[in-house]
Amino acid sequence: MKRQLIAAVGVAAMVVGLAACGSDAKKEGGDSGSSTAASSGKKDYNGKTLKVWLMTGSAPKGWTDSVKAEFESTYPGSKLDFQEQVWDGIGQKITAALSEGSVDVVEVGNTQTAGYAASGGLLDITKDKAYLGGSDWAANQNEAAVLDGKQYAAPWWVSNRVVAYNKDLWAAAGLKDAPKTLEEFYGNLEKLKGTAGVDDAIYMPGQEWYVYFGLLTSEGGKIAKKEGDKWVGGLSSPEAKKAFETYQKLQSYSKAPKDKDEATPQQKDVFAKGNVGTMIGLGWELPKEEELSASKIGFFPLPGKTADKASGVFLGGSNLAIAQNSKNTDMAKDFLKVALNDKNEGLVAAAGNIPNKESLSGQVAGDFAKAAVPASKQGAITPNTPNWASVEDKPNPIKEFLTAALQGGDYAATAKKYDDEIAKRLNQKQ
Amino acid sequence: MRRSLIGRSWPNVIAVVLFVFFIFPVYWMVATSFKKDGDIISKTPVFIPFHGTLDHYVTAVNAKNFWTYVANSFTVTVGAVLASLVIATLASFAIARMRFRGRKAFVLVVMAAQMAPWEVMTIAVYMISRDNELLNSLVPLTLFYMMMVLPFTIWTLRSFIAAVPKELEESAMVDGCTRTQAFVKVIFPLLAPGLMSTSLFGFITAWNEFPLVLILNKEQGQTLPLWLSSFKTAFGNDWGATMAASTMFAIPVLVLFVFLQRKAVGGLTDGAVKG
Amino acid sequence: MAVHSERVHTQSPDSGKAAVASIETSAVGGGANGTPKKSARSADGRSFGAKAAPYLLLLPATVATLALLGWPLLKTVLLSFQNLNRRQLVMHLTEWNGFDNYKEQLTDPDFWAVTGRTVAFTLVNVVLIMAGGTLVGLLLNRLGKWMRLVLSVGLLMAWAMPVVAATTVYTWLFDQQWGVVNWFLDKFGWHSMADYNWMSDQYSTYFVIILLIVWQSIPFVAFNMYAGLTTIPKELYEAARMDGAGAFKIFGSVVFPSLKPFFLATTFLEVIWVFKAFTQVYAINAGGPENLTRNLPVHAFLEGSSGQHYGVGSAIAVLTILMLVALMAYYFRIMLKQEDEL
Repeated sequence: MKRQLIAAVGVAAMVVGLAACGSDAKKEGGDSGSSTAASSGKKDYNGKTLKVWLMTGSAPKGWTDSVKAEFESTYPGSKLDFQEQVWDGIGQKITAALSEGSVDVVEVGNTQTAGYAASGGLLDITKDKAYLGGSDWAANQNEAAVLDGKQYAAPWWVSNRVVAYNKDLWAAAGLKDAPKTLEEFYGNLEKLKGTAGVDDAIYMPGQEWYVYFGLLTSEGGKIAKKEGDKWVGGLSSPEAKKAFETYQKLQSYSKAPKDKDEATPQQKDVFAKGNVGTMIGLGWELPKEEELSASKIGFFPLPGKTADKASGVFLGGSNLAIAQNSKNTDMAKDFLKVALNDKNEGLVAAAGNIPNKESLSGQVAGDFAKAAVPASKQGAITPNTPNWASVEDKPNPIKEFLTAALQGGDYAATAKKYDDEIAKRLNQKQ
Repeated sequence: MRRSLIGRSWPNVIAVVLFVFFIFPVYWMVATSFKKDGDIISKTPVFIPFHGTLDHYVTAVNAKNFWTYVANSFTVTVGAVLASLVIATLASFAIARMRFRGRKAFVLVVMAAQMAPWEVMTIAVYMISRDNELLNSLVPLTLFYMMMVLPFTIWTLRSFIAAVPKELEESAMVDGCTRTQAFVKVIFPLLAPGLMSTSLFGFITAWNEFPLVLILNKEQGQTLPLWLSSFKTAFGNDWGATMAASTMFAIPVLVLFVFLQRKAVGGLTDGAVKG
Repeated sequence: MAVHSERVHTQSPDSGKAAVASIETSAVGGGANGTPKKSARSADGRSFGAKAAPYLLLLPATVATLALLGWPLLKTVLLSFQNLNRRQLVMHLTEWNGFDNYKEQLTDPDFWAVTGRTVAFTLVNVVLIMAGGTLVGLLLNRLGKWMRLVLSVGLLMAWAMPVVAATTVYTWLFDQQWGVVNWFLDKFGWHSMADYNWMSDQYSTYFVIILLIVWQSIPFVAFNMYAGLTTIPKELYEAARMDGAGAFKIFGSVVFPSLKPFFLATTFLEVIWVFKAFTQVYAINAGGPENLTRNLPVHAFLEGSSGQHYGVGSAIAVLTILMLVALMAYYFRIMLKQEDEL
């Protein structure tokens, strides 16, 4: 635990250092901001309303209020209408909204941006990138906002999962340090299992495919890759099998259902009961303060097989994109400018997510972020191809694969079956 | 003696078992909605919530735009039912009392329409509504719901009208009524059970409809089934709030059922038996 | 008038007082064998109105049906011949692709698996519903006044439950960890069910779905059955009993023949309803586990709307509709014969 802390502090210091270097860039950003503010003073959005779709739990605390206040005071008479959407069935909903032109700005998952871009629903903002401050966007985040060399979205933030643990139960099990290797972590879970007051050593439903994806990344595997001009699924690869073995081992410590994902029920609600030892989750997946105080929750990155490297993670995140059919594209661009400026992007960092500019990483705050930032170095994202989004469509074959394999299905046959499904979806024509 | 006692009591025993079987899910829904969280998520179920709470109802009602959902649901449902009653009364009179070319074809269409698989036509309905800029509005929703219940309404009313002896009408007309007056004074009152049973059916159908409103109305004009489904995701395993929402959603239908029970049950029966 | 003497009751109000009255009577007479009268009427100058009356009455219903049902049906058929995915939807593109969607479905073993499952699922449900409903109906007829009321209340509640609420309640009853069903099974000695996940297996998922559908459908059949039973004259039973018939024999010789139309109509309605059951199947486990409980409507939805292959979804929809039409054909013939008699 102590060593972990030292490491975390070290990383934090590094990040602060980086931030210091980046402060020049920050100033530049500020300058360009003020100059455009002057030019945009001519623009008149009086009486216009911009409709923005955000996903549940996505915007950091205070972000919408801050952006709304700033935008509406910069452009008097204008209105921002934020609407919160649930993840369930979102693909279909966004497609419909893009086809109708009933929404101006949408938040899209970074794994799904290419798909929406290819559908023609997103506005090409390549020319506006600099105006929006895009020259400073972190390259590894921007990648997912670009398709065929064109910018279709602005990166907003990314985040990755870490292990959250209940400090009281951890102590009750006689545990002090955060584990440095998976072996150690298994040992910890074993101890937790036998501790009074612990109902579940780790809450890990079988369909946490993001966790599996991270483990696959650790093994150097790919969820799918292109052979010639055809995609093939990667579940049958030896790397995938090794990753699955780790996943299975972890899952075996959990009583959670093998056929559910972390959102049904929300794992934070389960964790909130106070009898769950650990879970693997995101920064926003914290229980309500009155249910389980944040001070009772500690974090560490999921350790790797060896002590020198944490396990890989899925670098999930969100981009903001303008609808091609929007009737307020200028207004939408100015919205993006405000929404992604250093002040508002700073709120992203303050909430523990990784902001879209390295210059702001120093503002990343909280125990969660301290664990998450180092792990993000081992982060990867799904293939940046238009059809990827349909792999995540219900029923997601990776989730189905995990359930089937966890329930004792023959590994090779199961992997083959779902590789075929992944390939089928990736190779379908648009 | 003993044997006949058993012989007499076994139907009652079975009836009690069946009663429990049918009522239990309803009871469990209501009971759960009044329980404290600790009693809901408990390894030994609490069967009667002595230490009840109204918290879940507060949560459910405080959900964003709750009253808009309520208003929309009632508008759409009542609108659809009334419209279908008017249209169906006209049509069912024609097919029950008149002979004309194309009658058979019409009857056939009504029967087929009753089986229309709306569940698989949502895409087409969406495309039509989108291309005519009718999304996020209560109008297409009301119209389509009306259409969902129209065939059944025609069908049921037809058998009610057919069941009214023509002599009744005739005697009214002998007394100097016009045919229209005869219809209003003689047939219409006798249609009451039919109207009630079809209203009830229409109400349930429109009140419950989910797949269509899901895709048509994403911003405005949303109805209670969407509100109910939002609880399942937004609250995760907050079964208390979910059950409170379900209870509130079921109440209008239950109330209507109890009110119309006698006539409605008879009505549906007549419709089905005679149909 | 003499020509229509066999229909004298429909003709008698022909006093020519109100337009509607005379219009309708002549329309009644104006069927296949009404030719002589027609000519007589045209001298009257009201023939056109008379002939138009039923059509005017049917006009609103016809317009509504064409616009609100015919159009979506036609649109579904048109869409089924298009390559319509996310891109085409967003860009409002129309790309015809002939029978590609149909070819894809008809050669896809998944489609046939889903179809077979849908048929079997319908069969099991309808048999259970009809058998259960009939038995409960017979029981209602046997019970005393009070017990009948009690059971009716239970049936009514189950029947009145909105489907969306009912599915939610059933997922809660069968919840793996906190569901009361697992608790019961555990308490009554089936300990391996204590933490049983009903949604993890095809058959146990089906069990929950079928229980839900049967639970909700039995009341309709039972009430109808009971109402039908009350219309059977007591003498018929007595006569049968005098002949020494047992309960089964009475059912076969008295009840079933009297209520044949009821059985026919109800069975048919239930077949259609179960065949296109969507909400229950989708809400309980979204066609899972591993797509093993998908039926045709859920398949159409998941492939079409959810998977955003709207053309393919429409093709599945059209195939589903065709199957429904085939199912209806038999029943329609019988119904049409009845129409002749009416």
